[in-house]
Amino acid sequence: MLNFILALVLGVFFGFSLNKAGLTKYSKIVNVYRFTDMTVLKFMMTALVVSMSGLYTLRGLGLITFPNVPATYIVGNLVGGVIFGFGMALSGYCPGTAAAGAGEGKLDYLIPGLLGFLTGAVIYGLTYDKVFPQISALANYGNTIIPEIWNINPFLFILAFSLISLLLFYLIERVGWQREEKVME
Amino acid sequence: MKFILNYIRKDEWSPYVAGVLLGLVGIAAVWASDSLLGASGAFENIAGMIGKAVAPAAFDNMYFNFIMPPGITYGVMLVVGIFFGGLIGAATSGTLKWGKKDSANSDEQWKRVFGQQTWKRWGLAFIGAIVLEYAAGIAGGCTSGLAISGGMLLAPAAFLFIAGMFAGGIPTAWLIYGKRF
Repeated sequence: MLNFILALVLGVFFGFSLNKAGLTKYSKIVNVYRFTDMTVLKFMMTALVVSMSGLYTLRGLGLITFPNVPATYIVGNLVGGVIFGFGMALSGYCPGTAAAGAGEGKLDYLIPGLLGFLTGAVIYGLTYDKVFPQISALANYGNTIIPEIWNINPFLFILAFSLISLLLFYLIERVGWQREEKVME
Repeated sequence: MKFILNYIRKDEWSPYVAGVLLGLVGIAAVWASDSLLGASGAFENIAGMIGKAVAPAAFDNMYFNFIMPPGITYGVMLVVGIFFGGLIGAATSGTLKWGKKDSANSDEQWKRVFGQQTWKRWGLAFIGAIVLEYAAGIAGGCTSGLAISGGMLLAPAAFLFIAGMFAGGIPTAWLIYGKRF
């Protein structure tokens, strides 16, 4: 019960951050793929830098243990990602931002979003045994993490990831690594 | 204090500030409830519930019995929370769409590029949503459950997924937008 209340509270803050980042707008999502607005990338990379630093520090201090790490099976992760990107560019949302947008009262998020996700879930559940076992067997590394397979200190990786993120932010904000929106008549 | 209140009321924050908030939520999920954020799984749980009620024989398979059992799970509660988080966020900036004239499709860019027809927006969004949910199943999670939650634990899967997202999203946007890309 307590865990359910926690989930609800965490979800509220999650949805709130999606709304404030502007990701509950069709244009914000699709424009990252047109390189005319890099908000999605800035938001995600900032969240990753903060959370990976925090989690590895807390684990280093012995305050937390990690839950089940999402499994790595190279072909499935990649192919799933490619198809997912196609769906994102088509709809302008992903499952999380659609839920937040629905809460805002956007009916194009609530109705086709909910119906589409449920339909997709049914199709996936009914075809699961013909698709998933095969694709997840290819190049499967299990619940591994990068420090393990590359045999490097996690903090070194986090430092490198943070520096790359900062460099990218600098290139986007200051050097103008972003295309101008085309003005069409 | 006034500055903070005014900032909360803004329609759009700096993505860096909002990103820090999401990062903290990701840490809190692990710390407080030993769980990861995620959204796509919740729809599997709900789909299983509906399916088992409507057509129990068809939904009596390994997936809906063991892999993603139906029910009101932690993930479902999280998605309910996300819904209310979006609602609260829009309420603080006065941008709620409930009952507004443009609530069926409020995106100016969409209308400029594709026209005013709501059915077109809803049709493409519906197809997109089916694709998203199916793809999240194959990949092992969505933007939150895999890209963010996996990435913060340094799972290679997350970075492969993000690379795939761009590899799929860029050509799709290019195809859809054509000259306007």
